[in-house]
Amino acid sequence: MLKYTLIPLLPFLSFLINILFGRNFIKDRAHWIAVPAVVGSFLLAVSAFLDVAGGRDINVNIYSWIVSGSFNVSVGFLIDRLSAIMLIVVTSISTLIFIYSIGYMHGDGGYYRFFAYLSLFVFSMLILVMANNFLLMYFGWEAVGLCSYFLIGYWFHKKSAADAGKKAFIVNRFGDFGFGLGVILIFLTFGSMDYMQVFGEAGGIAGQTINLLGYDVNLITLICLLLFCGAVGKSAQVPLHVWLPDAMEGPTPVSALIHAATMVTAGVFMVARCNPLFNLSEVAMNTVAIVGGVTAIFAATIALVQTDIKRVIAYSTVSQLGYMFLALGVGAYSAAIFHLYTHAYFKALLFLGSGSVIHALHDEQNMQKMGGLKKYMPVTYWVFILATLSITGIPFFSGFFSKDEILWRAYLAGDLGKFLWFLGTLAALLTAFYSWRLIYLTFHGKFRGTHEQEEHLHESPPVITVPLMLLAVGAVAAGWVGIPPIFAEHGDKIGEFLAPVLGYPEGEGTHAQEYFVMGASIFVAVAGWIIAYTMYLKKTELPQKLGAAFQPVYKLLFNKYYIDELYSKTIVQPTLKASDKIILGFDTYIIEGIVNGIPNLIGAFSRKLRKIQTGLLSDYGLIMAIGALSIIGVWIFLR
Amino acid sequence: MTAPQLFFAYFAVMITVLSLLMITRRNPVHGVLWMLVLFVHIAGLYIFLNAEFLAAIQIIVYAGAILVLFLFVIMLLNLKKEETVKKFQKHWLVGVGTGIIFAVFSVSIVRKIEVFPQLGKYTIEAVKAEGNIMTVGKVLYTKYLLPFEIASVILLVAIIGAVVLAKKRIE
Amino acid sequence: MEMETTISLLDIRPLVPELTMICVGLIVILLDLIVRKKEVVAIVGIAGTLVALYGTYKLYGFYEPQSAFSGMFVLDGYSNFFKLIFYLNIILTICISFKYMAIEKASFGEYYALLMFATTGMMIMASAADLIVLYLGLELMALSTYILAGITRKRQRSNEAALKYFFLGAFSSAFLLYGISLTYGLTGTTNLREIASALQTLDLNGSPIMYLGLIFMIVAFGFKIALAPFHMWAPDVYEGAPTSITAFMSVGPKAAGFAVLGRVLFGAFAGMQVQWASILIPMAVLTMAVGSIIALAQTNIKRMLAYSSIAHAGYMLLGVITGTTGGLMSTVNYLAIYLFMNIGAFAIVIMLRREGFQGENIEDYMGLSKSHPLASALMLIFMFSLAGIPPTAGFIGKFYVFMEVIKAGYVYLAIIAVAFSAISAFFYLRVVMYIYMKDPKEEVVLTRSPSMSIALAVTAMMVLILGIFPSFLLNLVRYSILG
Repeated sequence: MLKYTLIPLLPFLSFLINILFGRNFIKDRAHWIAVPAVVGSFLLAVSAFLDVAGGRDINVNIYSWIVSGSFNVSVGFLIDRLSAIMLIVVTSISTLIFIYSIGYMHGDGGYYRFFAYLSLFVFSMLILVMANNFLLMYFGWEAVGLCSYFLIGYWFHKKSAADAGKKAFIVNRFGDFGFGLGVILIFLTFGSMDYMQVFGEAGGIAGQTINLLGYDVNLITLICLLLFCGAVGKSAQVPLHVWLPDAMEGPTPVSALIHAATMVTAGVFMVARCNPLFNLSEVAMNTVAIVGGVTAIFAATIALVQTDIKRVIAYSTVSQLGYMFLALGVGAYSAAIFHLYTHAYFKALLFLGSGSVIHALHDEQNMQKMGGLKKYMPVTYWVFILATLSITGIPFFSGFFSKDEILWRAYLAGDLGKFLWFLGTLAALLTAFYSWRLIYLTFHGKFRGTHEQEEHLHESPPVITVPLMLLAVGAVAAGWVGIPPIFAEHGDKIGEFLAPVLGYPEGEGTHAQEYFVMGASIFVAVAGWIIAYTMYLKKTELPQKLGAAFQPVYKLLFNKYYIDELYSKTIVQPTLKASDKIILGFDTYIIEGIVNGIPNLIGAFSRKLRKIQTGLLSDYGLIMAIGALSIIGVWIFLR
Repeated sequence: MTAPQLFFAYFAVMITVLSLLMITRRNPVHGVLWMLVLFVHIAGLYIFLNAEFLAAIQIIVYAGAILVLFLFVIMLLNLKKEETVKKFQKHWLVGVGTGIIFAVFSVSIVRKIEVFPQLGKYTIEAVKAEGNIMTVGKVLYTKYLLPFEIASVILLVAIIGAVVLAKKRIE
Repeated sequence: MEMETTISLLDIRPLVPELTMICVGLIVILLDLIVRKKEVVAIVGIAGTLVALYGTYKLYGFYEPQSAFSGMFVLDGYSNFFKLIFYLNIILTICISFKYMAIEKASFGEYYALLMFATTGMMIMASAADLIVLYLGLELMALSTYILAGITRKRQRSNEAALKYFFLGAFSSAFLLYGISLTYGLTGTTNLREIASALQTLDLNGSPIMYLGLIFMIVAFGFKIALAPFHMWAPDVYEGAPTSITAFMSVGPKAAGFAVLGRVLFGAFAGMQVQWASILIPMAVLTMAVGSIIALAQTNIKRMLAYSSIAHAGYMLLGVITGTTGGLMSTVNYLAIYLFMNIGAFAIVIMLRREGFQGENIEDYMGLSKSHPLASALMLIFMFSLAGIPPTAGFIGKFYVFMEVIKAGYVYLAIIAVAFSAISAFFYLRVVMYIYMKDPKEEVVLTRSPSMSIALAVTAMMVLILGIFPSFLLNLVRYSILG
């Protein structure tokens, strides 16, 4: 039991030690505490994984926080096949990112603080993953949000970073509000927050309705949609996707951690975890699938024209997360988790690789000012190529297997599924295009930056490149645990592994259909590649021309469909104005009133109450006597 | 009215009147002197209860020692200014009202007493047979030893407090 | 009724902790004459307290019921748990007061001795099974605290505080004595157990005069606990007294008041639960209202904490009102939690005091986080806990009280309490807002000392640990009360 408790506890201890002693004692030696801690959790996670793979699920209550009659809130861990895989993903990616950070954050003023927050971040995510009840998961959920706020706004003196941190926090509030309501509703419905009890009794309330503002609403659907609200926020799905691209304002390792292993995967994990609930509601499932499919294509179109290297990758994350929700929505939970797992490696690789590039260029993020970096940074270049091959779905790289599994499952899922499959395949085309565009703009052609930057171009040190190479191995090979059955008997190991928790998706198709789906996705991957190749390597004037010819479209995409502006106009600014007024009112009426002893708002009441406190001894005595007297009097008259 | 009732009524009424007189005097020396008379009347009540020893103590300790101390303090402080301030606080009428209502309540409640507890073993006869001082001493040093000792600690604290608040040198 | 009373030397044994406290108190006074370093005196005081603590723990075992002096003095889990609170209270108070009293120029042996005597009084109150002993313990505690409140006699406000506390305290004692004499007059005894049986055999449960006696006693206890409308002294005295004494007073006498309230109501007047609940319910509501609402208007942090302590007394009273053992347990649990969070908050207040700077205005906390992040974080923890925000201990305390109140069927009381606790969150969070969101007006220098660090570490850790692992304390309380 201690072994499993230690998995989240080690990063937490690292956080405590660094935050308490970092400033005065540890300083720039913070990684000597953080890295061993996260490596320790990784090893323990592997061990836990082996236990689980050996057929032993772990469901223990560590202790009861609140016990009062039937109301029981406990802290406990559930490690089954689903959480075991998540543990491996989270801890392995975190380990590599921690090591990478040693080099990347070297010399930063708040080095210890960075590692402290990073450790806390990992701790929160592990709690979220390992929880065996909704309340603990909610705790992890909120803690992850809070840590992301700290980390994205880590360079708080940089206004854009501080704003991005706030944005992430506030946007997530919207989703979390729904999630919180969902958890409360679960408790009210089942009288418990324990997964096993809730999932066990879920079947019993299927079809039950509650009256909401005069409408009869299916209870399970309501719960699922509320929970999904949280997922939309945390996993950056349309319409709450706006925070994620800004989240790259944080240090690059943080972006990698948020985009690959923690935070954004929380939503996917949560929906997968709650599959016994979601399975009962077709409405909720379809909502999930549609939101996922729309996000996949929507984010991909934006990524086409972005010039900031990290922003392109950020939108690609949003798009890939869309795939995962698409899979969840069509009931292919294991495919979603599979994609989450492969995506973690190649996305971490892309982010850390771009970090390496940015590092070499002294914080230049604009791709227009890059180019030709191939010869200066061969390692970074080659790992980038591998990651791109993987994300675009070139056969036998990780991404191919997981993406293909999702598209195939979508294809099998009825008419809506077919439509989503079409969206997904289209998004794959776009993905291939923008991914290769990134490569060509960054690494090929001539260097377009300043002369000074060119002088200093260099490959990053081993502490950065070694994690990259390790991740590259994952990006290439991680998918080999899920080879489709048509290629290899029992190839889909991950699907079978997860089946006891997530079930096996329904739907059977012919081999011909499967080859068709696969062929289509390979075709679009290659097509996208070729288009990018022509546009950015051969006929480099073409993008300009196209941009000019389709100016409105270009502008629409470049400005991300003006979603940020829309929110700004309709929600943010009115809210700010209103809150300004409220704060102003609060200041003038309440704070002023209270602080300066002019209680306008509380008014005569408070003034009278205060007047009683005259400071005169005889008055106090008199009031005591009157008090005693009124107690007697009340009794005499009311008897 | 029987003789004991008359006796009690006199002392009870006098105690009330004297208390009022004491707290309404503007001159503190007058107040203390009325208190002296008050204490004598309280001693009278003790005698009424067959507690001659307590009555004696009341006179010796309160009237003899404490009152003299009061007078000393008043004379040392030279309270000329206090004599000029208003006799009553602002809300004295409320206070008087509270007192009257309280009295009414008390009377109305006390009139309802129906049950009386059985008498203890220290009946008038028992106390008379053994002697007043003997009885008090015995009880105080056996059954009530603990309260007696706690009271001694309280007195110790009072002494320490007086020294600390009045004499302690503060650098 | 009873035969010849015999008192043997063995009767002293249960009183060993109290005797230890008194003896060490006297030693402390004598040491003050010899020892120049006042640290030594303070440490002797702490050591003596620890010896007494050991005695309480070891003498008969923590939960073992014992009685002495013909049933006037009892030792049981209930009294021992309260004694634990008193020990922690005095130890933490000494820890936070040393440097502070040096600044106030009042760090001398008598100060520590009086703390010990006051604690002895509280201990006697917790163990009292007889109204006479109870009254004397209360007076011992009260007299010591009157003096302590005025111990910085050069400060006028301190004098005023002591004098007000003294006069009003005497007034409340009169109520108590009147109540005791009425009770004695009806039942013929002052022993709590015998009162309970007399109420039964003489059928006094509905007697109006018994009710009057009960009201008078509740008035006196309410005064010590600072329940409205008998709270008037608290803000003035808390503000005027030296801050370390304010911390001491806001926990010790309050806990002692609850100890006797619980003992008298549950021990002697259990049959009159309906009656005393009907007295206490309006008092509790009024107390929470007065504490929460008036605190909003305060600018002095000690005064604000005074009103906060009044409000907290209201929440604690709810547990007693239920009349159930569970309710009493939740009150006791709350008191133990309150000890840590309140002394912690006062410790921070004390740290702001330095030569020539009072640091008592809430505005003095503006921008504290910029210059003193650790102290600010601690204050945040204490304020959150006082406001009852999870996962701090304050939440647990409130949660269990409200839960017991609901269980006992007073749902409306729980709703009122939650509403007032939401109001009270405002003024706690206002301090946090000043610390974290305002710009500093002037540089604040904190007065540090090792003992202060220890006290802060202990209180902050306990607030967090009891918030996250509440079952330890709950079990201790359960065993203490159920035996």
